[in-house]
Amino acid sequence: MMNRAYYISAEELAHRGRSNIPSELLSSAHLIYSSPATLAFNSPGAQGFGVKRAGLAVPGSVMLLISPGCCGRNTAALSKEGYNERFFYMMMDETDIVTGRHLAKIPDAVREICEACDTAPTAVMICITCVDALLGTDMKRVCKKASEYAGVPVIPCYMYALTREGRLPPMVAVRRSIYSLLKPASKKPDAVNILGYFSPLRDDCELYSLLRQAGVRKIREISRCLDFGEYLKMSQANFNLVLNQEARYAALDMEKKLKIPSIELTRMYQLDKIRNQYHLFGQAVGVTFDDQKYYDMASASVEKFHKNHGDVIFAVGEWTNADPFELSLALIRYGFAVSEIYGTVGDMNFSYIKKIARLSPKTKIYSNLSPTMLCYDVCDSNVNAFIGKDAAYYHPGCVGICWNEELQPFGYAGVTGLFEALDTALGKEGD
Amino acid sequence: MTTVIKYLSPFAPDISGAVSVLFELGGLIVICDAGGCTGNVCGFDEPRWFQKKSAIFSAGLRDMDAILGCDERLISKLQDAVSKTDAAFTAIIGTPVPAVIGTDFRALKHMAEKRTGLPALTVETSGAGLYDEGEENAMLALFQNFATEAFPVKRGTVGVLGVTPLEFSNLRAGDIMAAAVEHSGLGRAVCYGMGSGLDSVQHASAAEKNLVVSPAGLKTAEYLKTTFGTPYIIDCPLISEDLNRKLTGLAGKRVLVIHQQVLANSVRNRILAGTDADVAVASWFMLKDDLKQEGDFRLTDELRFAAAVEDGGYDVIIGDSFLKRALRHYHGQFIDFPHFAVSGRLEE
Repeated sequence: MMNRAYYISAEELAHRGRSNIPSELLSSAHLIYSSPATLAFNSPGAQGFGVKRAGLAVPGSVMLLISPGCCGRNTAALSKEGYNERFFYMMMDETDIVTGRHLAKIPDAVREICEACDTAPTAVMICITCVDALLGTDMKRVCKKASEYAGVPVIPCYMYALTREGRLPPMVAVRRSIYSLLKPASKKPDAVNILGYFSPLRDDCELYSLLRQAGVRKIREISRCLDFGEYLKMSQANFNLVLNQEARYAALDMEKKLKIPSIELTRMYQLDKIRNQYHLFGQAVGVTFDDQKYYDMASASVEKFHKNHGDVIFAVGEWTNADPFELSLALIRYGFAVSEIYGTVGDMNFSYIKKIARLSPKTKIYSNLSPTMLCYDVCDSNVNAFIGKDAAYYHPGCVGICWNEELQPFGYAGVTGLFEALDTALGKEGD
Repeated sequence: MTTVIKYLSPFAPDISGAVSVLFELGGLIVICDAGGCTGNVCGFDEPRWFQKKSAIFSAGLRDMDAILGCDERLISKLQDAVSKTDAAFTAIIGTPVPAVIGTDFRALKHMAEKRTGLPALTVETSGAGLYDEGEENAMLALFQNFATEAFPVKRGTVGVLGVTPLEFSNLRAGDIMAAAVEHSGLGRAVCYGMGSGLDSVQHASAAEKNLVVSPAGLKTAEYLKTTFGTPYIIDCPLISEDLNRKLTGLAGKRVLVIHQQVLANSVRNRILAGTDADVAVASWFMLKDDLKQEGDFRLTDELRFAAAVEDGGYDVIIGDSFLKRALRHYHGQFIDFPHFAVSGRLEE
């Protein structure tokens, strides 16, 4: 009988290689522990941006959730966020689940909710769940019919949790959905879209300034579009900047349908890598970015924190605005100790693990989703600061930051903001 | 006309009810889903999740599991988890996925028991039912599996059936209920599933009588009566102090109490004990004919709810304030009576 949480050292994991990852770290190989540490990303409907909230990123839209009651239950939690008036439900009973007879009722339901709205919605997002995934519902066809009947755009949002590890998981599919209303338009060379998140970048993000240096005058993010008209102008973009790989399919759709090419950037916390990425980005668009002052500011924040708290030992989680392995690698390279990482190991981040293994071989790697995390005992840990809401759960007595705010950190501003937030949180100890 | 919910949001489903009954009993609970249902239970419908650890896991089903049949793979994962945690039994809870693919829960039970060596419960919930159905089924399965031996009756003990946070909107409902039972002179209470463990369930036959405090407990009370001869009464001695204080000035008024039936009936009795109001009970959940009085009715959807309130001419409604959203034209008095299964809100 195991009575401790499973972990593996970075050294051992790197040695095993990406083709021999232990089953405890592979969520498909075991039951999934949905601890309070994992709710936002394991079941995003519960907290954070899941399909339901993300689908409403289209300005003026409403959502009709078509499902058994269980799928819509936790939507009540979103009422605190001001979504009360934008969610509607069509409840399936057990006969619907088996026969799919609910599909014939959707056009009427769409018309009914449009009539119930004080202001006519710009679009009705139809959210469907595992039941329709299994029934093989052609929801595009159903939506087309509903749209013709109700006189409003009707778009499917697939909350198919069953396909989470497939080619088109729900959070990828919903990103396609929210841009699917855009129509071809004449291009404006000084317009750019930022894709990837459902909330804006931090206002102090240097990306805005750098784009202006390159002659961009109009930078659009869906979350900053005040109305549907502004949203539709996203079709005018000269190119899309994709900041989250889950938006890659949406960008490909836009390239095909709207002739908008895209460039992908990655969120990182290693300053030299950020600088290199901007350099390559500049080459791609034919400019040389002057990013020195942003680099210096970020570098100064790292140094200041190191001076105040150089002996801190971190636990880094994945319920945070970072890849926990990349962030851990950055911290280690800046001279900090990272004792524990809670993350999902995959092809994308294995290269970070190999680097961590060289610099900090004893760093322990846990999977939040492993059933053994039920036995996690903080007494076995030497951590004294956390980053990530999941890490905070495991270390209730430590100081740290959740770093999961809705305003998205990116680039140098992300690094600066991170270390300033850490400095504030740990300040009392350092003072 | 379709049944569309425009003002409210869905109530706690059967899955949440089933888990609520089993949460504190030391079992390894597997919700047979892809992750979303478990997230709903853990992140929303089970407020104890953030205070107490319980071995609740998602089966982590994927499309190919559902298409090709997932039983063997699920049982292997269950066996693996049992080997790494300390569980007294296993429980497999249904969701829409097994409902669509027609999972054989009896086979799952046999396979789980054979492979883990532990007793296994299965609760065939579909996610389309309401929490009280899930509670009823889980409670009955629990007692049928574990309350099988006749122990000598301990005089003065009362088994309390039907206490969960979903029913009573309080994380301390077990303790408060036990105190209320003792204060009312009924005896020393054992609240199954809230404040007492699996051992209490196994010794359920030792209770002198049972007290059913929500309709979900009735079938289990019947089982214990049939199996061990334990008599039961249906009543709820627990009405919060906050609500008690608000039950004034109701003389001569038409009052509608909306909650789970047993608790709502107790509120009606409390009102009528002190005044001559005209009180009806309504519920979105089980409404047992034996417990109904003339004028009581079941609520089924927003439209009919609003119409029933208007037609009934009620001066006062006692119910979860979340329901006010569906009563846009009601201008009478509304006394808040939280029901976690409705609003996800605990008593303050």
